[in-house]
Amino acid sequence: MISTLRALPTVFSIGLQRQLAYRWNYLLRALFSAMPLLVSWVFWQAVFRTKETVGAYTLPGLLTYYAVLLIVESVSSPADDDFQISREIREGMLNPILLRPLPYGIYRFFLFLAGRCAYFTAAFLPVVICFFLLSRAVPLELGNLDLFRGLPALLGSALLQFSLTLCLSLTSFWFLDISALIFLVYSLEFLAGGHVFPLDLLPTPIFAVARLLPFAYEYWFPTASLCGTLSREAWQAGLCLQFGWALAFLVLAHFIWQAGLRKYTAAGG
Amino acid sequence: MHPFSLFRLWLVQIRYALTRELAFRANFFAWVIVELSWFVLQLAFVGVVYHHVDRIAGWSRHEMIVLVSTNQLIQQIFTAFLMPGLTKLPELVRTGKLDFVLLKPVPPQFLVSTAQLEIGPLANAGIATLVTGMGLHALGIVPTFASLVAYLLLLFTGLLVHYALLLFLVSLTFWIVQAESVLLGYYSIFQVARLPREAAFGWFRVIFTFALPLLLVANIPAATLIRGMEPGPMALFLLTSLFATLFASLFFHQGLRRYQSASS
Repeated sequence: MISTLRALPTVFSIGLQRQLAYRWNYLLRALFSAMPLLVSWVFWQAVFRTKETVGAYTLPGLLTYYAVLLIVESVSSPADDDFQISREIREGMLNPILLRPLPYGIYRFFLFLAGRCAYFTAAFLPVVICFFLLSRAVPLELGNLDLFRGLPALLGSALLQFSLTLCLSLTSFWFLDISALIFLVYSLEFLAGGHVFPLDLLPTPIFAVARLLPFAYEYWFPTASLCGTLSREAWQAGLCLQFGWALAFLVLAHFIWQAGLRKYTAAGG
Repeated sequence: MHPFSLFRLWLVQIRYALTRELAFRANFFAWVIVELSWFVLQLAFVGVVYHHVDRIAGWSRHEMIVLVSTNQLIQQIFTAFLMPGLTKLPELVRTGKLDFVLLKPVPPQFLVSTAQLEIGPLANAGIATLVTGMGLHALGIVPTFASLVAYLLLLFTGLLVHYALLLFLVSLTFWIVQAESVLLGYYSIFQVARLPREAAFGWFRVIFTFALPLLLVANIPAATLIRGMEPGPMALFLLTSLFATLFASLFFHQGLRRYQSASS
């Protein structure tokens, strides 16, 4: 147990070095991630030309949502962890990891944390520039940010996204190529997760269903929590559902891992 | 090399790629569903926004559907024929396998661009065509033969813009070792093409009309079907897309000079 704990900072450090080896790739990724915010600004200002409010949102309120979403995404979304795990299983790179006295899920979680730290560092400056430029055009409602509710939701989002990614990637024990499955789930995350538009713009019955799904707690819930647009009751209920889903996926990942290991054949060194 | 020889070579490459694709039929169906889900996502977005407003920058709900599905149609054709080859370039450069391309007596840009094919997106291009037709039907528009021919030519012009952008982005791989994020860049930047042209303003409109004509890619073909042909914007679209393609090609060749073979 103690040796496992001692190894974790090393795993984190290796993950960080692995990410920073390709700094330009990271910087490009961070720069491109600001593009959807720019597109959203242009699109929504056209929508608001004829209306003062859309749903419960004003133009500054809606753009604040998209701007905060950019931070949520940079802190909590896995980069290519899914493809890395899939490759480790498919190409037999799991063998040396299995020999170590370190649970695979914890090993991957620390690599995920390192990746998020590296990405957030790379994305920080472009995000600040984006915020600055956007706030010159539209008065963003950053004064309403609620860190007390937002930070636990952000943490829950990272845990949920990691556990979901782990579940999906571990299906590589059975399938040769899981990229189609990964991209299919991406599209669901974008639509039902509040990445394309805030979920409360949906018609009420559809919104009620979307709030029960795990995807809502990946982007919409942490963003709305940070923006301070949720009531206390809604936030508490959301947090319970978010951590509940994360826990459920972690348990599921454990069972998939156990079943997968029985099927896995280690060949070579 | 004679253009007809290139065309024959392209047909051979398509036949080879088709055979390879058909060997993985389950993968084919999986990708059809994936691409379809992204298209549904775009249509759902249109549905949600028009749940709150009647028009956006002068475009009604069904006009917007024609715009979005036209964009999807162009993107899917591009994804089928040109994108798979281009996205392999970073890996070819990193592993040194570009050597095998350079040794062949064929222009490398042609080989890199046409080496792969995906047939799944063609099924989705068919679905996008169907949705475009449904949008036009809802608007009560029956396109004339001339506007249909113009539409097809404009789709081809739109393909050039897609090609120019991705060729430029993947060519960055000659300067940056790991350039996998360029694909993310392509998808991020191309979101501009789904915007109604009239929504854009200021420097955004100038850049994405004249420097990189993304605002024209789906707007001009869709407007041709809905409102008829407008020679001015059509000529502008043609000129800017040709210029963008030329620029991207020069950038690719500039990058090629930096390529250091991994095997020698």
